[in-house]
Amino acid sequence: MMQQQPHGVAPDLAQLQSTMHAIELACSSIQMHTNSAAAEATLLSLNQSTRPYKLCQFILDNSQVANARFQAASAIRDAAMREWSSLTGDDKKGLIGFCLCYVMQRASSPEGYVQAKVSSVAAQLMKRGWLEFTVAEKETFLHQVNQAIIGIHGIDVQFSGINFLESLVSEFSPSTSSAMGLPREFHEQCRKSLELHYLKTFYCWAKDAAVSVSARISESGTKVPEVKVCTGSLRLMLQILNWEFQPNVTSAKAGINVFSPGVRSDLTASKRSDCNVAQPGAAWRDALISSGHVGWIVSFYAALREKFSTGRYWLDCPVAVSARKLIVQFCSLAGTVFLSGDEHMQQNHLLQLLSGIIHWIDPPDAIAQAIESGRSESEVLDGCRALLAIATVVNPILFDHLLKSIRPFGTLTLLSNLMSEVIKVQMTKRSDDETWSWEARDILLDTWTALLMPVDTSAGNTMLPLDGINAAANLFALIAESELKSASASALDEDDGDDYLQASISSMDERLISYALIGRAAVNVTIPLLTRLFSERVALLHQGRGIMDPTPTLEELYSLLLIIGHILADEPEGETPLIPNSIQSDFADTVETQNHPVVILSVSIIKFAEQSLNPEMRAAVFSPRLMEAVIWFLARWSCTYLLSEEIGESDLHLLQNSRKTLLSFFGEYNQGKSILDIIVRVSVTTLLSYPGEKNLQALTCFQLLHALVRRRHICSSLVLLDSWRALARAFTNEEALFLLNSVNQRSLAQTLVLSASGIKNSESANQYVRDLMGHATKYLIELSNKSDLKIISQRPDVILPLSCLLERLRGAARASEPRTQRALCEMGFSIMTPVLVLLEVYKNESTVIYMLLKCVVDWVDGQIAYLESRETAAVVEFSIRLLQLYSSHNIGKISISLSSNLISEANTEKYKDLRALLQLLSSFCSKDLVDFSLDSDESQSTNIAQVVYLGMHIVNPLISLELLKYPKLCHDVSSNNFIQKHIDVLASLKLISSFIWQYFALLSHMLEVYPETVGRLDSEAFLHVLGTLDFGLHHQDTEIVNMCLRSLKALAAYHYKETTSGNLGLGSHATPVKDPRGDMQDGVLSRFLRLLLQLLLFEDYSPDLVSPAADALFPLILCEQGLYQKLANELIERQVNPSFKSRLSSAFHMVTNANQLSCNLDRMNYQRFRKNVNAFLVEVRGFLRTV
Amino acid sequence: MSDEEHQFESKADAGASKTYPQQAGTIRKNGYIVIKNRPCKVVEVSTSKTGKHGHAKCHFVAIDIFNGKKLEDIVPSSHNCDVPHVNRVDYQLIDISEDGFITKSTVPANWLSNVSKLFFHLDCQIKDGFGEGKDLVVSVMAAMGEEQICALKDVGPK
Repeated sequence: MMQQQPHGVAPDLAQLQSTMHAIELACSSIQMHTNSAAAEATLLSLNQSTRPYKLCQFILDNSQVANARFQAASAIRDAAMREWSSLTGDDKKGLIGFCLCYVMQRASSPEGYVQAKVSSVAAQLMKRGWLEFTVAEKETFLHQVNQAIIGIHGIDVQFSGINFLESLVSEFSPSTSSAMGLPREFHEQCRKSLELHYLKTFYCWAKDAAVSVSARISESGTKVPEVKVCTGSLRLMLQILNWEFQPNVTSAKAGINVFSPGVRSDLTASKRSDCNVAQPGAAWRDALISSGHVGWIVSFYAALREKFSTGRYWLDCPVAVSARKLIVQFCSLAGTVFLSGDEHMQQNHLLQLLSGIIHWIDPPDAIAQAIESGRSESEVLDGCRALLAIATVVNPILFDHLLKSIRPFGTLTLLSNLMSEVIKVQMTKRSDDETWSWEARDILLDTWTALLMPVDTSAGNTMLPLDGINAAANLFALIAESELKSASASALDEDDGDDYLQASISSMDERLISYALIGRAAVNVTIPLLTRLFSERVALLHQGRGIMDPTPTLEELYSLLLIIGHILADEPEGETPLIPNSIQSDFADTVETQNHPVVILSVSIIKFAEQSLNPEMRAAVFSPRLMEAVIWFLARWSCTYLLSEEIGESDLHLLQNSRKTLLSFFGEYNQGKSILDIIVRVSVTTLLSYPGEKNLQALTCFQLLHALVRRRHICSSLVLLDSWRALARAFTNEEALFLLNSVNQRSLAQTLVLSASGIKNSESANQYVRDLMGHATKYLIELSNKSDLKIISQRPDVILPLSCLLERLRGAARASEPRTQRALCEMGFSIMTPVLVLLEVYKNESTVIYMLLKCVVDWVDGQIAYLESRETAAVVEFSIRLLQLYSSHNIGKISISLSSNLISEANTEKYKDLRALLQLLSSFCSKDLVDFSLDSDESQSTNIAQVVYLGMHIVNPLISLELLKYPKLCHDVSSNNFIQKHIDVLASLKLISSFIWQYFALLSHMLEVYPETVGRLDSEAFLHVLGTLDFGLHHQDTEIVNMCLRSLKALAAYHYKETTSGNLGLGSHATPVKDPRGDMQDGVLSRFLRLLLQLLLFEDYSPDLVSPAADALFPLILCEQGLYQKLANELIERQVNPSFKSRLSSAFHMVTNANQLSCNLDRMNYQRFRKNVNAFLVEVRGFLRTV
Repeated sequence: MSDEEHQFESKADAGASKTYPQQAGTIRKNGYIVIKNRPCKVVEVSTSKTGKHGHAKCHFVAIDIFNGKKLEDIVPSSHNCDVPHVNRVDYQLIDISEDGFITKSTVPANWLSNVSKLFFHLDCQIKDGFGEGKDLVVSVMAAMGEEQICALKDVGPK
């Protein structure tokens, strides 16, 4: 239907009419849902037709059907983007001009969405041509827009003008721009150009438009049409202030004056909160600050607010919302826009804003009451956001000071009162609905965080002014009260969440961190308060034993432990945390250790934990959940305070008073060891006396014990403790410990082995490990030697201890360290034969197989770097036998089951097994990189590359290309729960992608590091490798394509370097061969050259891949220059349009000749070639893909 | 597939109990469990508590290894569950009769009774492979007095 219209020849009117009717019909039939397939085809053909501009303009001008006009606009956009490089300059400008005129002329049209679409099409076309239009050409368009915005053509046109600028700005902003199939650089240049030359002008236009209509609005009311213009302008101003300004545009590095008092020297805090700090730079000073513009917006809002104070609806109407948002954004203004020597400039600016905002939030109680009786909460929420914005850009002292000139109290006091009010509202209504108070609380907590979060630890803690400290103390007391209240109220709730531990600790975590910051701001008050609250609860438990239900008190204790843990110590994840600054310094005058508030609090909690050792108390008080909090607390606390290494007795006097007191009290020479002993005994209790409480045991193993053995000097105390030796003994013979679940089992073994690093003498350390793991190796050896192994092996009572011991061996293998390496090495060698026997016996029992494989993988991974060449050879031989055995059991095997679920489980297990085998091969690769072995005898050493290729050759037949694709996952019956089902699917996807990743990572590593070995592969193995590369190049995961490209680069570069120096390179693999049918087959490099060109020119890929693809293309072209020329000529000949033909041929010429590219494969040349390819793609990809 | 294997098999069957008790907390995904007197494979385990401060319990979702039906159970994690003794033995496939019955390599008599009827849904795969002259090994899974072919492996041309 949509015939190609020859360029320049006007189609006749009748034809246009009939096509228009067809489009209109299609649009209405889509709306009526009749015959929509055909209608969609019609619209699609409109979108894809060549040069549909005349027709589309005709439809836009004449059609009565709004949808048809909408479709026509979008067809213009699509066609112009596609054909851009073949349009003449006049065509381009004509299209933009048409769209602009269209929106202006029809500004009053009721179909706003068509107008918005045309406006955005104009913006997109303008951006597409931005770098090629001259300044004068741009000015012409923008002049037209400016005229509209000034308002000489009336309100509607004014609005259209603003609307167009909104589209334009959002097109140019990187986060909201639409895709154009061009490299990032293009977008970046557009962004820069707009920011430098136009953005401020647009802002001023919008400001003037808003000011010009504001008087009329204040006089008459919100119903006048000017409101629309005003709202639009405010929105545009906000959008521009939200622009991500690049700091160095105007004043190179001068940036922010770090010495100016009061102003935050860094704005990293802004990244933590949602607050978007606006830093437009010095050039904007006149427009934003000096012009008195802020005063205008504040008083404009105040005037309207006054006027409409009776109408409740008003607070939520668009103009009010936009004005408030703009005011909030003004609060976050920072950087060189303020004069760097003049700190009053920012203060005055903020004060001006705050004097307007204060009416939204003060007095807090009256406002909270008004909201509870039905007033809109949006204003108070914006007020909170404004406080957050201010807190982000200034330091706490200045923050507090701001309000003092207009109120008798500081801003911190106001913040504290406001938040107290919010918390009171929350306490009175305990509901799960997210009400305004939740949102306000979160914003205000962010505000506190922004104020109190230490920016940089060396600078000491953030000091608050005295009344600020009082405000924080009062607020914290209220927070604690509210948390306790909600804890006791929720204590009897049925807990039905599966991951309830995560839910309770992690989701609360962020909130607790903020609470802790507030609490730490006033430690002098808050720590004694917490001590009191804690001992009251403990006393209550003792008094009420047997009389009343302890559950609410247990839950309160649970909450308290979490809060206290957050205040006393920082998150131990990653590095060893120090004592928080405020705790170090704020207790300076306390001298007596026994009475130090932190000591009192810590000791009372540890004493409480100790009571769990008493079976009676345990049964009555220490529920699993409470125990979880206790263990969590002990883990967190001990990382910071227990047996700190940093001080010996001698240099204690150098430390700050409070810190010295604490560290020496909990140190080696005072209470440290006895507390460690209590902690170990409590841990043993949770492992032995809470059967089946997996979460609790996981916390004990991973958080507590693991954190203890990470520090070597704690290990040296640990190994001397009777309680630790008792744990080690229980580990070898206590039945209850065999019942820990697999991950905990593994972790416990690892922990126990790691603690050997505390034993000074290397021989006894190794002996300790032998004693610890002897029971496991012995069991495996005995089991594998049993004559009736085949029969008993399948019995559950054999599989259970076997799995448990395999997990322990695996855990121990992970604890590989130089000191105990000998013992672990012996352990591995002693179980090699049993492992192979068991691999045979359990070939149908996938769970056992997987444990065996993982055990070997972890052991090899831990040991490979230390092994001597003779040992390496033995391990290699063992691993190859293992691979062969696994392969012989599984190749050609099909699982059969009535349940699709079990089939898919079986597939998942296959992935896991194969991933483990690949991990095994990968860890061999590391032997060539890291090798601690002592022998230097090169002759005996194993050729790792050959081993890995041999391994891959064994594994490869098990990895079909089918496996490398994401299979259709079926989980039809396993889960009754929708979410669980999705979690399952995601977990499988994650597993599969990690498997695929592992595979390609290994492959590309091998090709990059040992390209010479590839040349020696037999042709079948070689073809398999290449087949997977080919497959990987088309994978949807960018990372994998990237790895394949790197492999290709390595292969081609190797071949090129070898052949130029007269060697064989890839030899016969690279030369054309005859296939069985006698046809000539390309050599591999030719094949990949074709493939890569095809990919680069015609297919969709992420822009991030252009550079790696260029890196691979360059050596390929050098290897196969003849073929490259041939392909280029073919492509050029294929072009019908002579102008395309010449452009393409010059582009091809440039790729290989521009930028002084030479034939050397060095860094410089790779860079030049990348540049050339980039330019080449920008030039030709557009029309190659469409023509 | 050797003779001695089958001798052992019958001997073991006589004295072996069909299930073993095992603590619920130690049963993990992909392990076996008896639910409603059926041997099952666990596909999902989740833990929850009886009330906030109560003890943990395990919620198992499992698939009957023979008929593929889904079963669920909730057990306090410190209590014992029954775990079935699932045995698998490989046999070389010798013949398939017209009515779907198969003949395995030297099979103990008591095995024949049930195996055959479980083939209706998979005899295509087996028959086709067998018909093409492939040498097939079938793995037979047995638990709690029932048995079924659970895997099939092509060991090369006959």
